Amino acid sequence: MRKILFALVASIFSFSAMAGGHADWFKEAGAPYKGTVLQGVAENTPPGQFAGEVLAKEFEKLTGIKVQLENTSWDQMYDKAIKDMEANSGIYDFVYIEQDIVYDYLNRDFLVNITEGLANNPDLQAPGVSLDDFTTFIDYFKDGSGDVFGVPMEAFIKVYLYRKDLFERADAKAQFRAQYGYGLTPATSFDQYRDNAEFFTHFCAAEGMECWGTTVQGHTGHPASTYEFLESIAPSFGLYNWGVNMDSYQSCVENGGQLNGGRAKAALNFWTQLLPFAPPEALQSTWSEVGSSFAAGRAAQGWVYGENAAWIATDAEKSAVVGNVGVMLPPTAPGVMTQAASGNGYIGYYDGGAYGIPHSSKNKEATMLWLQYVALNEHQADWAIAGGRITHKDTYADPKVMAVDEQADGYFTLMRDTGFLYAGAPPFPFHGAGRGAIDPFIYSALAGEMTPEEALDGACQALDTVMADLGYQN
Amino acid sequence: MLSKNKTGWLLLSPTILILGLAGLLPFIYVLYVGFFQWNPLAVDPSLQFEGFASNYRRLIFDEVFLESIWRSIKFSVVTLTIELSLGFVLALSLLSSFPLKSFFRSVHTLPLVIAPIVVGSIFKLFTVQGLGPLPHILKDYFGYTLNYGLNADQAFWMIVIMDVWHWTPFVTLTLLAGLSALPQDPYESAKIDGANNFQIFTYITIPMMVPVLIVVIFIRLMDSLKIVDEVWMLTGGGPGYATRFTGIHIWKEVFEKRYYGLGSAMSILYLYITIVICWVLYSVMVARGKNEE
Repeated sequence: MRKILFALVASIFSFSAMAGGHADWFKEAGAPYKGTVLQGVAENTPPGQFAGEVLAKEFEKLTGIKVQLENTSWDQMYDKAIKDMEANSGIYDFVYIEQDIVYDYLNRDFLVNITEGLANNPDLQAPGVSLDDFTTFIDYFKDGSGDVFGVPMEAFIKVYLYRKDLFERADAKAQFRAQYGYGLTPATSFDQYRDNAEFFTHFCAAEGMECWGTTVQGHTGHPASTYEFLESIAPSFGLYNWGVNMDSYQSCVENGGQLNGGRAKAALNFWTQLLPFAPPEALQSTWSEVGSSFAAGRAAQGWVYGENAAWIATDAEKSAVVGNVGVMLPPTAPGVMTQAASGNGYIGYYDGGAYGIPHSSKNKEATMLWLQYVALNEHQADWAIAGGRITHKDTYADPKVMAVDEQADGYFTLMRDTGFLYAGAPPFPFHGAGRGAIDPFIYSALAGEMTPEEALDGACQALDTVMADLGYQN
Repeated sequence: MLSKNKTGWLLLSPTILILGLAGLLPFIYVLYVGFFQWNPLAVDPSLQFEGFASNYRRLIFDEVFLESIWRSIKFSVVTLTIELSLGFVLALSLLSSFPLKSFFRSVHTLPLVIAPIVVGSIFKLFTVQGLGPLPHILKDYFGYTLNYGLNADQAFWMIVIMDVWHWTPFVTLTLLAGLSALPQDPYESAKIDGANNFQIFTYITIPMMVPVLIVVIFIRLMDSLKIVDEVWMLTGGGPGYATRFTGIHIWKEVFEKRYYGLGSAMSILYLYITIVICWVLYSVMVARGKNEE
């Protein structure tokens, strides 16, 4: 909250500064739409809160166009947005497009072509807004011809967080060396990760601390667990694109896929074997609870979404580990880093989303103005500080961002320098259906109802059935 | 007579119109969609007709769907039994006077006014590992580990407890209303004839309460068969399939996987099964009531 307030004050200054710049243009361009109410729906993330509580208010003051942004849970956001677009009811003027759903939305022609819309309405084209200012993350929201269908508003990488204070304790270092025969450091390999997890679970218990060796995003009834496996753990073991053969759309090994192959099984075995070293809430944890657990000091290390990494490291009001957070790339199997660097693989998930305009919107022109306002360079630094996200190339060099970067152990620098090693979700139009087929098997593996081998054999068959059902297989 | 009928129809017409638009039309649409293969995520996103029975034939062999029905029926039977027994005991208790009776009645009724999704949230906050007090209390004082994210039986029974907490007050209040309205003559006659309390309960109270019981059982049965919100909030249908009741299964098939045709067929088939269960139950209860008369 303090961050949002700080951002609000900061944005008032930048707003005043902007008054001499683009404010007049937005005021003039927005005049015909004064009194219009734009309705949006998005996932409730720190960047979404900034957009709703800071940017929307500034925009209204400037143009008279009211922006009502409904920041809600991930499930609700999809439910509401998709139902609205399917029914063509026009409730929402802009919707959040998570990177992994964009192929579905484009396939179903839900979204307005923003590039085309601006080209056809030069009067709506704001000065100072260039789609070239964005990082390459904007490419995920382009179609084959390079037209943009969503304006990125958040982008993160899923990093490895660790507790510096725990890893640097002399007694911990000595005990670890005595027990494992090598030095205690943040993990760069899976064996080391497991050893660290086991060690800190026992070390914390012996010290009377409520902390465990690792986070696990292992909710046994929520897709968050499938996502952690498919988007973070599996790629770091060298299993990409869910193990789906991108030519034949088969995922079982016997049909040319890899979802039940050696790498996948090693990855799922590794991940499920971390559960004894995870906080007891791990099996009811989505990405939000993982962030909260780490912030509460309940885990020594873990894979944590970037949207949470920044506030965990810097927001003393919400986090008990400020000043003690280390940020690194997650461990990877031999060869994976090389594959990622050469563009033939990736080490984890480049997460984020954009605001897009549904065809059903009744206020497309006013929404175009709002989306361009969101894309202005002037807002980006404060937005990055409030929400830990960066979508513009220049934001990295902003002094305010650099100061926070230092506090967050170089999270933004890591994102800038190694973002290319990460990738968004594979371009599956059947994303929801495919993931939905895999979910129960991941839940069962986590709950111990199936072995990882059985779970992946079942998951690949279920996924293959879906892809055959939907007509994707040759 | 004709004019009287006309006025009647005129007065009824808004209701008929609303029922038609909000109930009948969607039902017909779901029935229609259920005859098609339709998934907008497919290569061909249009409706594909593959025979009237294609989706229904597929469902008959769909183990996950059939298991979800069995799970829902088991859940309904368990919760209904507990809620009826507990509700009856509480209603009988509330017939007599005791200190703080009105206070107890008010507090006991409170869960009824809480929305199901909020009930799910309350139970989640209360029982979630790490944060909730219940797992701590059970572990520290009884050495029992409560982790319904891991244990399928715990997940099922946690939902049963949640449902019982939420809906027993409804059963209690309805039965209390019924009990309060019972005529006193049969009781006085029974006492004169020397019947004991158990005999009075089984031979007088229960038979006279059958109409009220039928209403309560039907309302609760239909409600529990379509449970979604609380479960969604507490377990999301997990771990694995442990709490994936039919309502949640249909939601996941339709809104996550976008199988609109198959999901519609599931809805229709489940509605049919619900009607059959209710009809069988109704026939048995009415027949039994008649025999006892």
